[in-house]
Amino acid sequence: MKLELHRLKVNGLKLGEKTGFENGILTVNKAEILALISEDPLLGKNIDVDIAMPGESTRIMPVKDVIEPRWKISGKGQVFPGMISDVETVGEGQTLVLSGCAVLTTGKLVRFQEGIIDMSGPGADYTPYSKTCNVVLVLEPSDPNMDKHDYEKACRLAGLKTAAYLAKSCAGCAADSVEVYERPTIREAMNEFPGLPKVGYIYMLQTQGLLHDTYLYGVDVKRILPTLVSPLEVMDGAIVSGNCVSACDKNSTYSHLNNPVIADMLKRHGKDFNFVAVIVTNENVTLADKRRSSSYAAKLAAMLGLDGVVITEEGFGNPDADLIMNCRKCEQLGIKTALLTDEYAGQDGASQSLADSCPEGNACVTAGNANEVIHLPAMSKVIGYAEEANVIAGGWQGSLAEDGSITVELQAITGATSELGYTKLGAYTL
Amino acid sequence: MLRLITNNAGLHDSAKSSEYVDGSSLDVLICVRGLVHSGSIILTHPLCGNLRPNHQPFRSIIVDVKPGYVDLDSLSAIESAVNVYQSAEIIAPKDLDALTRADYAYIDAELMRESLGRYGLIRDERLCDAPSLRVKEV
Repeated sequence: MKLELHRLKVNGLKLGEKTGFENGILTVNKAEILALISEDPLLGKNIDVDIAMPGESTRIMPVKDVIEPRWKISGKGQVFPGMISDVETVGEGQTLVLSGCAVLTTGKLVRFQEGIIDMSGPGADYTPYSKTCNVVLVLEPSDPNMDKHDYEKACRLAGLKTAAYLAKSCAGCAADSVEVYERPTIREAMNEFPGLPKVGYIYMLQTQGLLHDTYLYGVDVKRILPTLVSPLEVMDGAIVSGNCVSACDKNSTYSHLNNPVIADMLKRHGKDFNFVAVIVTNENVTLADKRRSSSYAAKLAAMLGLDGVVITEEGFGNPDADLIMNCRKCEQLGIKTALLTDEYAGQDGASQSLADSCPEGNACVTAGNANEVIHLPAMSKVIGYAEEANVIAGGWQGSLAEDGSITVELQAITGATSELGYTKLGAYTL
Repeated sequence: MLRLITNNAGLHDSAKSSEYVDGSSLDVLICVRGLVHSGSIILTHPLCGNLRPNHQPFRSIIVDVKPGYVDLDSLSAIESAVNVYQSAEIIAPKDLDALTRADYAYIDAELMRESLGRYGLIRDERLCDAPSLRVKEV
């Protein structure tokens, strides 16, 4: 399986007559995007497209999802399979990527569940999406009493369609760089690097219900048994976020596409370990589902003869139970684990960080304390609805001050404590 | 016997077999702990959603009441959840304005919808629908 990522490096963004890419500048035809997303009768008339650039005094909220524009220029299937394209498998051929560019969806859905992105100031340091050239969709439902599932789906599809449209419009451009990824079959992988430990990745996806969901090839992941997926399929959008819940640690579609755990494991494959497989699993509500999925994921790891796994969690609270079950069951089968999570340790950092724990979870990496409080100064421009700060998760009544500044927990900032490690702040080994 | 224990009035109305707890999310957990002590198996995890647990004004848990049978896994899960909820100040439904309260109640119901359906506890699907799901005034 071989995938080439053809990257166009987007350094600037402007609205214009024809959507296309030239000399690092992505020009966006706003009318075409509006026409594209207005096809959906679930979206209202007062929808808008705006742009936001790094360093600007701009705040975007409430953000639902962030998507990197991608489009397959050759190979089977198309990006975001099962969502906006056919269900054919992806991960092979050539995919165009608008690097440095993102599509953001915003608008009121379930008020407390969504996030803030500041393009400058102290808040910008906490979100990777302050450094991308952002095309922002401001959305509303056609009927204010619309079922929230329908509206959530409409928002999700509008973002994906726009991301695919932008990249498709640049399909004739020569890439600034090309990355080539090649993955062996499992049979080949088993015989590679005999001196190195066989390592896998257990990729936990949040799947509890509305705004707590994730899709694999368009399938609601709460309805799957854990299964194998190629890292290259993930790069083509096989995994899509079901929009935002608790903005700091719901994995955006962008962070799935650019999953840094996968990226680093591919880099270290053949050097430090033999990266054999990715196992995707879910985080359901019932205890029976949690037991079934954790046992099954650990069983798959054992069937593959893995020596160790990296496990990433998505979310907090209830998913802590899934994380711990995955950890304990793998360890009991003799498979070493390293866990990646974040913490809700209270504003003073003194409370218990996770809702569950086990002695076997002794190799654990944190992406930060989501309860830490941050003051966000007023911005000149707000795309979306600033008043949501008073009800957003991580905010409280009075979070939005009269001068337009906002005091919130990091929980409210999109991607601030990404449990895939897709964050701007962190510790690096030099 | 399967039973929903909840402080979410709208969800209580929509379930076939339900006990309404007029109180906070912690009160729901304490009620469930009592049931586990007297013989009940917890079917849905006592922590739910993606908020800091003590910031969840509503909590809904499905149990299988089996008088006299003490399930140690359930006991461990509920004791651990009570400890988590007691670790910080609880936001109670009465602390919130009506719109925000309705949003929290809605998400609580959404997170339980699949499980209620699976265990055959939905009495009236329409009551789980968005426009009709309202919190009783507190």
